Amino acid sequence: MIRLEGIEVRLGQFALRDVSFEIPPAGYGLLIGPTGSGKTSVLEAIAGHAPLRGGRIVLHGKDVTAVPPERRGVGVVYQQNNLFPHLSVAENIRYGLAHSDLSEADQRARVGELADSLGLDHILGRGVANLSGGEAQRVGLARALAPRPSVLLLDEPFASLDPATRFTLRQQLLDLHRQEGVTTLQVTHDFQEALQLGNLVAVMSEGRIVQHGRPEEVFRHPNSSFVARFIGAANVIEGIVTRVGDAEGADRQFAARFSAGSVTLDVIADREGLLNAVIHPEDIVLNHRPTGGSARNQLPATVTAVELAGPVTYIHLDAGWPLRAAVTSASAEAMGLAAGVALFATVKATAIRLV
Amino acid sequence: MPFRPPDRSNLIFAFLGAILVVFVAGPLLYLLLRAEPGTLGQAFTDRELMASISLTLLAATAATLLGALLGVPLAYLLAGRPFPGRTLIQGLVELPIVIPHPVAGIALLLFLGRHSAVGGALGKIGLEFVSHVPGIVAAMLFVSVPILVSGSREAFAGIDPHLARAARSLGDSPARCFRRVTLPLASRGILAAVSLAWARAVSEFGAIVILTYNPKVTSVLIFDRFTSFGLEAAIPPAIILLVIALAMFGLIRFLQPTIPQ
Repeated sequence: MIRLEGIEVRLGQFALRDVSFEIPPAGYGLLIGPTGSGKTSVLEAIAGHAPLRGGRIVLHGKDVTAVPPERRGVGVVYQQNNLFPHLSVAENIRYGLAHSDLSEADQRARVGELADSLGLDHILGRGVANLSGGEAQRVGLARALAPRPSVLLLDEPFASLDPATRFTLRQQLLDLHRQEGVTTLQVTHDFQEALQLGNLVAVMSEGRIVQHGRPEEVFRHPNSSFVARFIGAANVIEGIVTRVGDAEGADRQFAARFSAGSVTLDVIADREGLLNAVIHPEDIVLNHRPTGGSARNQLPATVTAVELAGPVTYIHLDAGWPLRAAVTSASAEAMGLAAGVALFATVKATAIRLV
Repeated sequence: MPFRPPDRSNLIFAFLGAILVVFVAGPLLYLLLRAEPGTLGQAFTDRELMASISLTLLAATAATLLGALLGVPLAYLLAGRPFPGRTLIQGLVELPIVIPHPVAGIALLLFLGRHSAVGGALGKIGLEFVSHVPGIVAAMLFVSVPILVSGSREAFAGIDPHLARAARSLGDSPARCFRRVTLPLASRGILAAVSLAWARAVSEFGAIVILTYNPKVTSVLIFDRFTSFGLEAAIPPAIILLVIALAMFGLIRFLQPTIPQ
């Protein structure tokens, strides 16, 4: 378990402020945010390399705030792998075992076990200077896991890898995470990675956590236009919300009108004023003709671009504002969607989130 | 590949550079060409010359070892996180580079002479500097320490700090991390700095001649032979000192840091 309680860190002009979140035992958390938002500083603080000015770090129930790095039981994998250049692959993996009670034979067995899991058997005797990016990251991962740390910290471990290697390593990492049961926190700026890997995601901006929760929850319900834009999963439109109905239910929501430029949408709101409408691309339904049913917002639109992304195709629209809709690639083909095609974009009032 | 004539500006630069190379290499080659087997053979039987060479090598080794003992830890601190006074200390340690060596000799004479507080106190425990071997070691240490500290500091500073952090997270205490990661990675750079400092100590003349004329190190002996007996008498010891310097130069080039960071 990793629990941060209001940690404060100052590094030159940069500061982490009141950073709090918790990852359950054997959980997999992801810290995401733009460059310079403080993700790596959080890892440095947990690993004990950045002194705290306030707050507490608790790892598996033990307050480690004042514990030096070597006694925290934390394994770290860096973006640039930072393998020891004067040691071989095997010596790198074995490095942290020098402090363990394991016999020579057991140490060798542990190195062999990890090398086997990560497909490193054939390079154990090699130096680290000429390893490929994927090999080097796997060695870095094996080295961090060898002493069986209680917590594993990964600082953008896939950032410099090609897509195929990234995919393979991601799978190996998930397998190892399950196998070793180590509580993991990974830094990434790729929200797709968060959706695939983690069971908790914390979004950072300017040294603060701005939202945290399950990845699907953050994806579906971003709490600010910053989060919505950063995770890149939604259309974010700024406009004015005006009440048109009475408040109902425990959460006092009411029917409202959202106006931005010449376009107006029916929405369900809990407050009025200047807000952002967040519409997920997959919540936009495209038709060549107007449709009936419960959907209340039907916007005439023109296709401006078609972006093929594997089984999904993103359709860029001009509906008074730029909008991005997602359809299956088969549907896009069947509907003959191409730049210049006129159609109707429909979105339910309940699918529009106001932040 | 078709022949491409060299760029005109490169030709001018090459010509200017060639003048400098000839200026540096010419006198040294000329001196080596003056070596005659008979004269050199005679030099090896010259007891005063042999004694001066032994003294030079031993004193330079002592000065370098002392410099490494005191300077490498300082270099490590200077390469690490900033601390109050770091720039001042760095400047002070590098000061001997810009001080004319006879001035360094006079300063050392005043500081370590019998009439100074430091020299007097050390004299009471039997450590005499003026006209004694410790004086030679002190002069050599003074002039070589900037090279040793700067070179070692660069060697430490060139190590990615993430490596030490990784080692700490893998269970190393700061001391153990220094021994297992920092020192091995900096070792070639430190060894190169130590070798360069040693070569600088061997070649020192200006500070030594003021602090300890006798017993004579080789550079002082060359000067003495030149002023007392003329150029021909100074050539054999000069050649032998040059060969020692060239051998050290080769070793330094061999030790240039090559470990990828």
